[in-house]
Amino acid sequence: MVAKFRGPGMYRAALGTALGTALSYAIIGIFRSWYGLDPLFKGYAVLELSLFLAPIGFLIGLGAFDYWFRWAAGRPTIPDDHSSHGAHSWRDYFKVNTDHKVIGIQYVVTSFVFFFIGGLFAMLMRAELAQPGRQFVDPSTFNGLFSVHASLLIFLFIIPVFAGMANYVLPLMIGAPDMAFPRLNALSFWMLPLAGIMMLMSFGAPGGSFASGWTAYAPLSVTAPEGQVFFTIGVQFAGASSIATALNFLVTIITMRAPGMSFFRMPLLVWANFSTSLLVVIATPFIAVSQFMVLFDRALGFNFFNPTGGGDVLMYQHIFWFYSHPAVYIMMLPGFGIISEILAVKSRKPIFGYRMMAFSLLAIVVLGFTVWAHHMFVSGMQDWIRVPMMITTAIIAVPTGIKIFSWLATLWRGVLHLDTPMLFSLGFLTMFTLGGISGVMLAIIPVTIHVSDTYFIVAHIHYVLFGGSLLTIFAGVYYWFPKMTGRMYDERLGKLHFWTTFIFFNATFAPMHVIGIQGMPRRVADYAEQWAGWNMAISIMSFFLGLSALLFAYNMIVSWRGGPRADSNPWNALTLEWLVTSPPPIFNFDAIPTVVGGPYEYGVPGAVHGVLKGAEVPQPAGATASGASHGSATKDQE
Amino acid sequence: MEAAGISAGIALDHHDDGHDDHHHGPPPANRSSRVSHEVLGMLLFIISEIMVFAAFFAAYFFIRLVAEGHRWFPFEGYELPVAIAGVNTAILLSSSLTMHWAQVSIKNGNRFGLKVGMVLTSLLGATFLFIQINEYIHIGFSPQDHAQGTIFYGLTGLHGAHVLVGLSLLIIVTVRAFRGHFSPEHHHGVEIPGIYWHFVDVMWIVVYTAIYII
Amino acid sequence: MWMVIHGLIASAIGIAVGLAINWFPESASTQAGPIDRLYDILIWVSVPVFVTVTIIVLFSVQNFRMRPGEEQLDGPPIHGNTRLEVIWTAIPAIILVVLCGYAWVVLRDIEEAQAGEMRVNVVGQQFAWTFEYPQADGEPVRSKHLYLPKDQPVRFSVRAIDVIHDFWVPAFRMKIDAVPGIETGYRITPNRLGTYPVVCAELCGLGHAVMRATTRVVEPAAFERWIAQQKAPAQASEDGEVDGKALFTDGNGAATACGACHTLADAATSSATGPDLDEVLADKDAAYIEREIVDPNAEITPGFQTGIMPPNYGDTLSSDELEALVTYLGEVAGK
Ligand code: HEA
Ligand code: HEA
Ligand code: HEC
Ligand code: CUA
Ligand SMILES: [Cu+2]
Repeated sequence: MVAKFRGPGMYRAALGTALGTALSYAIIGIFRSWYGLDPLFKGYAVLELSLFLAPIGFLIGLGAFDYWFRWAAGRPTIPDDHSSHGAHSWRDYFKVNTDHKVIGIQYVVTSFVFFFIGGLFAMLMRAELAQPGRQFVDPSTFNGLFSVHASLLIFLFIIPVFAGMANYVLPLMIGAPDMAFPRLNALSFWMLPLAGIMMLMSFGAPGGSFASGWTAYAPLSVTAPEGQVFFTIGVQFAGASSIATALNFLVTIITMRAPGMSFFRMPLLVWANFSTSLLVVIATPFIAVSQFMVLFDRALGFNFFNPTGGGDVLMYQHIFWFYSHPAVYIMMLPGFGIISEILAVKSRKPIFGYRMMAFSLLAIVVLGFTVWAHHMFVSGMQDWIRVPMMITTAIIAVPTGIKIFSWLATLWRGVLHLDTPMLFSLGFLTMFTLGGISGVMLAIIPVTIHVSDTYFIVAHIHYVLFGGSLLTIFAGVYYWFPKMTGRMYDERLGKLHFWTTFIFFNATFAPMHVIGIQGMPRRVADYAEQWAGWNMAISIMSFFLGLSALLFAYNMIVSWRGGPRADSNPWNALTLEWLVTSPPPIFNFDAIPTVVGGPYEYGVPGAVHGVLKGAEVPQPAGATASGASHGSATKDQE
Repeated sequence: MEAAGISAGIALDHHDDGHDDHHHGPPPANRSSRVSHEVLGMLLFIISEIMVFAAFFAAYFFIRLVAEGHRWFPFEGYELPVAIAGVNTAILLSSSLTMHWAQVSIKNGNRFGLKVGMVLTSLLGATFLFIQINEYIHIGFSPQDHAQGTIFYGLTGLHGAHVLVGLSLLIIVTVRAFRGHFSPEHHHGVEIPGIYWHFVDVMWIVVYTAIYII
Repeated sequence: MWMVIHGLIASAIGIAVGLAINWFPESASTQAGPIDRLYDILIWVSVPVFVTVTIIVLFSVQNFRMRPGEEQLDGPPIHGNTRLEVIWTAIPAIILVVLCGYAWVVLRDIEEAQAGEMRVNVVGQQFAWTFEYPQADGEPVRSKHLYLPKDQPVRFSVRAIDVIHDFWVPAFRMKIDAVPGIETGYRITPNRLGTYPVVCAELCGLGHAVMRATTRVVEPAAFERWIAQQKAPAQASEDGEVDGKALFTDGNGAATACGACHTLADAATSSATGPDLDEVLADKDAAYIEREIVDPNAEITPGFQTGIMPPNYGDTLSSDELEALVTYLGEVAGK
């Protein structure tokens, strides 16, 4: 029994959590008795401190820091025998594992769990909104529902699921045996479930869960009931996790590319994650700071956002959006990468304008930092900031347009394999364009003045996040499913999933544009009779949308357990991850491969992207499974 | 807190303990860049850190220049101890020199220089913190009084927290130096906390200028 | 050719539908015209962009999809085309810059100062609006609802007491946040008689959804009468006649209407932010009711939270008003 608590693992983690909480009591008790305050253990003070210390205790208990502690104390570190690589049973997924492939799966599965929880909250919201008046949740629960819905889906789903997929495929794609900092990688993963559980726990807080939206504007968040701090502090863990992962990606991409893999031979997914990581490293500290300021204002009576004390309320929004606008690209660029991979492979053509694709990503990164105040057009900030922000915001559609049009040109005259990943990619192209266009409308100030904070915004959000990011995530999961699990998914179910999602997605969110412009505000549990019909229709459609998500879950679980075995390169793709078996060997490659050409040379006779060392010299002809398509006929001009 | 976790992650995640364990392990990765993982990681992390400070400077900007009824020290009898803080600045800056000395020493195989350098740097850092806390006690206003106080404590406190993190790293290095770690070939463990410490020092100059001088 | 023709047809249909949909609520200010027109222009621009993308996707699916026997076939290795790339960079850029230019013109148009503006102070507070009409002679007139004379330019000056709110009259098309610590505002000229909703459009807490009021655009003469009337009862209340029911449904200048949060059959209010008073007050005496109003946090009704009901009714209601309210509630609640 004692041994169980000694060694790293879940038992010791539970102990660590308890000790962290106890320590919080002790610290608060000591300080308050020192200052002679009464009562000794003030509930919220202990709560706020233990929200930091208990998770740290958990991580220490789990063993995330063991290596560094020994190192710091100058003791001999345990030689890494790589026993923590690979997963042999489901239990291994509940341990600190340093294998990027295991971490990738941990990430993806965890984020999908939060997707389903967040989606479930959306269903509850839609049930409440089906009719005007109060159905079955009170206003405070409703506000909590959409706040937690958005926070989970943004911080615990879209952002980490992209990080997870990239964790799995990116090292393989650039021919690296692992990420640059495997232990840091494990730590970044384990901070996530903590953040998510924290946000969910807020429903148990006195006064209900945090209910000031995912934007948590001060001073509402400063005066809100105690549930708010579960957001304030949960975001710190999610943020630390993304910064750590982004550093890891950047270092891995810069220092660990296979020989011959120059920057302009990298697959666009790698470019996309490179750009995203730059955004994360530069922007994420801003949300961390904004929430720390809220915490200090709440807990210690600081005056950051207190106008009577000389503070500035709008400052919160500037700092928040300086992160959260770039964050919308953090939630989109990796998706762009996924689409580039899939469209090239599934159209059997090179990506059109590869360099412009890479440069437009960088352009979006740079421009993304210049547009934050477009969320503040009606916030009462200085008038003169608005027009410059309108122009930069509109201009950001140009590099995005370059990407859309290049993808369209990639389709042109290709040989389109219309299977599930491709369907989702094509769905993405059209739906994201629609969401982007409503974004451009929002950039036009006179229009925004009317539609800001209405359901038009809710429609925009879901067209870009669901029609954009989520469709790319589905596409990516189907595309790499054989690589990750070694099994094929059920193609018919996949197509059914696509069509139900596509149809009910539009049926749910398109009408929101109309009711938004007509004047239905967002974030309300109750609305005027005039929108009753629309809302009922939207709610019904959204339930079907929820059912379509269940189709996906069913397909994934059943196929993972018993789908037909996948061979190493079912899609005839060129990039390096398809050169190795499915799932890849524990250390990815026996020897680091050499890259000899571009990643998308489909249709170029004899083209090879990379060769495994020790493997035979690339065969000049014949369509072998792993040799992709070289030598095969090219569909020529008609 | 965040900062501590991540910086520890980067600074310490390396392999200079000299054990060779690549028997059944992965193939060694190709090095596609001359910088090492750890140094690059630390430099990128410092970008994040700069942005943390930038966010606080944004608050400083708003409170000092934008907010309704903005004003700045000295007002209503509040005074900032510019001279004492100046002395403190000199202390922190000299610690950068001793840090540098320690780094150069180990590169040349001078273990004694490393040990003395590290002890001196840690002591100077601790002195800085001590004077800073003393300043808090005697300054005569609190962050609860007004937003000016809030941002004064905010920026100097944020910096103080970084000094504390840096100091912890220095102490780890010192302990390891006395235990006989590091050699002219393997001194990442000194170099990387050193980069961080230099960053903390440079940041103080910016904070000092913004808060006390202009 | 297929594509161009279908594209044109689809765009035409799309634009026609886009223009035919009755997007906006009725318009009641001179500002609405330019904004609605700008929106129509956006429809003209956006529909073809969306149709272009969609048509190309559909056309590719129809013509380039893999047919049986083409499993090993690859497309032609086209890597790019500089001319095309320049075109699809330049055209959107030009469109967008022109749009922004036009939007700027509209923006200046709708924000332009007008001669002879009337000033109205708008104060947002959890969870109600107060409108103040400054009077040359002394105390401003305060109201829970917005009255405006037709064709008279107005400048709203907007403030907030506790958290951020947002002052929005959809019929006027304009909105601005009410931010604690600063003063914001906008201008409109109402040009249509009628009653329109005032909406709080920024999440401000539990009662956000019920933070509503009405705007009445009336003839200038009627407006003058209303102002005069509003000044009068201020003196009338001196001699003790306070209408408890009116107080309940409309509040007074400083105190939020009870009906904004409570259901009471007699007053025909139906909000669920606070307890249903017909249920909870049916068998309560006056002292209990008074205490609950003056110090609502002393005893919290199960299922509700502290801090929602304003704790300052003891200050914002005069003793006469409080008495009238208590009497009124005692008479009608649950009956
Ligand atoms: C994945 C996330 C994502 C993405 C990618 C975007 C992309 C864009 N967004 Fe969006 N946005 C959000 C997520 C996202 N947004 C969220 C979550 C909010 C709400 C936050 C909240 O308040 O809760 C929001 C809110 C929001 C607002 C604030 C509205 C308000 O609250 O008042 C604005 C205003 O300018 C805006 C604009 C844009 C623009 C111009 C783009 C552009 O990047 C879009 C560019 C793409 C295209 C335009 C399509 C392809 C281009 C072509 C085919 C070329 C030709 C096109 C033309 C000539 C038009 N968004
Ligand atoms: C990636 C981001 C993402 C995703 C995927 C979604 C998905 C959905 N969202 Fe969400 N949403 C946001 C991000 C997202 N949303 C954001 C940022 C906001 C703004 C919040 C704010 O104002 O602060 C918002 C706000 C928001 C609102 C506005 C709330 C308001 O302002 O009052 C609504 C209302 O309808 C809504 C609905 C939905 C629905 C129906 C889905 C559906 O697509 C969900 C489908 C998925 C499932 C349903 C899960 C799977 C199914 C089950 C678990 C089984 C149960 C099924 C049944 C009972 C049928 N969302
Ligand atoms: C912003 C919302 C709001 C407004 C405005 C408001 N109340 Fe309330 N009221 C509440 C809430 C929430 C509660 C339940 C919590 C509590 O008991 O304090 C409550 C409780 C009460 C109770 C106690 C009910 C019981 O169970 O005994 C009474 C009586 C009451 N309100 C009367 C009034 C009157 C009279 C007014 C107007 C002068 C008013 N309220 C205005 C929100 C409001
Ligand atoms: Cu006031 Cu919403
Ligand atoms: Cu934005």
